[in-house]
Amino acid sequence: MYPQQIHGYLLQFFKENNCRILNDNDHYINVQLTIEMDKKIMNRPFYWKYLESTNGVPNPAQLTFITDKNKLVEDIKGEVVHFGSPRLSQLFQATNEMGSFVQMYEKVLDKPGERMILTPWLGVNYKISYYSDQTKEILYSLGINLMTGNVIEGFQESLSKVDLEKTVSGNTFNLPYIIKPIRALERLDAVIENSIQQDDHTWAEEAKMRWQKDRKVLEFFYEGVENKPDCYEIEKEAMDQQYEARIKIDIINGGLFYVK
Amino acid sequence: MIIERSSEWKEGFTERLENRETWDNWALYNMSYETVKTNLITDFYGLQSPKYLPNLTPLSHQLAVAETVIERMNGKAILADEVGLGKTIEAGLILKEYLIRGLVKKALILVPASLVNQWIEELNQKFHIPAMQYKKNYDLNHCTIVVMSIDMAKRSPHKENIYDQAYDLIIIDEAHKLKNHKTKNYEFVQNLKKKFCLLLTATPIQNDVFELFHLISLLKPGHLGNYETFQSSFSASKHDVEHDDYLKELVNQVMVRNRRQDTGIEWTNRHVQIIPIDFTTKEKEVYDLISQLKNVSPIFSDAFSMITLQREMCSSKEATCLTLDKMRLKCIRPGDISYIEEITRKLMGLEINSKAEKAYEIISQANDKVILFTEYRASQLYLQWFLNSKGVTSVLFNGQFNKNKREWMKQLFKEQAQVLIATESGSEGINLQFCHHVINYDLPWNPMKLEQRIGRVHRLGQEHDVHIYNLAIQNTIEDHILDLLHVKIGVFEKVVGELDDILSAYKKSI
Repeated sequence: MYPQQIHGYLLQFFKENNCRILNDNDHYINVQLTIEMDKKIMNRPFYWKYLESTNGVPNPAQLTFITDKNKLVEDIKGEVVHFGSPRLSQLFQATNEMGSFVQMYEKVLDKPGERMILTPWLGVNYKISYYSDQTKEILYSLGINLMTGNVIEGFQESLSKVDLEKTVSGNTFNLPYIIKPIRALERLDAVIENSIQQDDHTWAEEAKMRWQKDRKVLEFFYEGVENKPDCYEIEKEAMDQQYEARIKIDIINGGLFYVK
Repeated sequence: MIIERSSEWKEGFTERLENRETWDNWALYNMSYETVKTNLITDFYGLQSPKYLPNLTPLSHQLAVAETVIERMNGKAILADEVGLGKTIEAGLILKEYLIRGLVKKALILVPASLVNQWIEELNQKFHIPAMQYKKNYDLNHCTIVVMSIDMAKRSPHKENIYDQAYDLIIIDEAHKLKNHKTKNYEFVQNLKKKFCLLLTATPIQNDVFELFHLISLLKPGHLGNYETFQSSFSASKHDVEHDDYLKELVNQVMVRNRRQDTGIEWTNRHVQIIPIDFTTKEKEVYDLISQLKNVSPIFSDAFSMITLQREMCSSKEATCLTLDKMRLKCIRPGDISYIEEITRKLMGLEINSKAEKAYEIISQANDKVILFTEYRASQLYLQWFLNSKGVTSVLFNGQFNKNKREWMKQLFKEQAQVLIATESGSEGINLQFCHHVINYDLPWNPMKLEQRIGRVHRLGQEHDVHIYNLAIQNTIEDHILDLLHVKIGVFEKVVGELDDILSAYKKSI
């Protein structure tokens, strides 16, 4: 992420969370946190507990984030935020927590005498991770039509062309879903598992070969030793953990979407 | 294959479907997806860490090491770059990469006590890795990245506490301290579970090839065979290395070593010379008397103390005198006592220290900052007095100094004194790029100690040529030390690879 992108990210993040931007330059931001945001990112539970038990006046923090140190000419003190900085990963984490579940409706222009029918979809974004002594991640965005059961890939991208809002427009009719969302989720899970099965798993074979090679070396070291010492077992266990192939499925976020 | 999944999202989703919780914000939903997409690790290969570290510009050899260790050595390696090429940076890059990829959750970093703070600082500031220093009574369950001194770690109850943890990565700095497989340190590390493991040392061989065997056997038992096979195939005598190429090949599978000249960086030159010195007649007389001791009485026949005395005599009468006094206390026969007293009398009568005079000559010619290394505390004090009498300012530096005192002495040296007089234990962990002259007043047995000493000044950031003066008194034990140093350098080069000049610019062939 470039400084500009990070700047945009911070700006949007705080605006969406109703934090007032006191000063927005192109390379630094000065923001007034809300009480909720302070509790979320300032890591001072004792202050808030004290304040609440004494009925004090809450004073959530004001923060200054410097997004491009190189452009900074003003004499400003603040936190330098860059890709990889602990603060940014904290905000990523917070974003993820606060953006996990949505229910959205397509916005429909009001045309008298016409009623638009919206179809319900379940959209889920998955992250698949392959682990051995190496890693790789794959992102899947799946959508399932709750009327027909039809599954499409690239669902998140297809939504970017649609104007969505939190509340349903007056002149629309939402079809009731035939497939229950939880049932649909199970179907998508099955689709994911299937695509994992179809995938090329040479990586796991290779990890196994590395593991076997290391095992042979270790066995050779203790060849002929009758009572093998503890460190032999420890070493063996470490090797198993190092090369064991594992697959992890994470759901990043998902929700119900009513679209034309 | 194991597939891990969590039902957490499903539960949260159900809560919303049943109207017990509110739905989230659409913009944050999109931002969240975008961040995951940006942070996605799309390939098993390649390094992710550099893009997370915009304020650090690793050198190309450091990036190459990180990549090699992760991709070709499966995260188990000896990082053996020459001193001053940034092994800490390489280790930091590897740790960061594994953290980003989620392969390491907990890491243990074992370092000499004097380097704990330096590691914490570097990891936190350069790598944004929240490393913390282990203190007594800390609960290791709550420390994810922890730095501690190996001497503390190996003791109870810390040892047991560490064994109870499941560390994914273990880093050991100054790993040559594990060369002896009979020590507590070695045993402690041997019993640690080492999933990923980095051993850092510029000097994987200090004396003989078995040290490397033991080091590699810690990392990957069996890689060089077991002890018997190794012994029979690679060493007839300790210094003789057969099958050089084969051994080198094996070693290179678990060890990465960059030399200054491979780094593509313009390095300043290193001018190394041996400065031969002659004793005065009077000094020579005392030296010979000392050498004769073993013929005088069986009480003096212990070879170790003889050698110590001879080496001390090559350093200063002050150093010699202390040991002589101790020996005299052990004597019973009046003849032995009087012989020692005679030596002491002659010793104290000496007015000239040829080596110190030579050192002064070099210092005044250099007309610049100089670091002088001696093996003896008594010589250290003497030299400070001696230089002071010639109008040369100096500060002392010992390994026992705490962090503040070290920094203070370094500062004094930088700003006020011309000479820093350090004992052996002072040669680790201080960086003095502002200085360009090193005098090895006494020679150590171990060539790698010379390399460590030189590394204090000849490292990244040095802008001038560096001059090294190795002082040796002719026709004394120091001739023998020089020979042995040459042999040991030969062994190192055969197994590990070329070594920068440390003894003299001309290599002897063995």
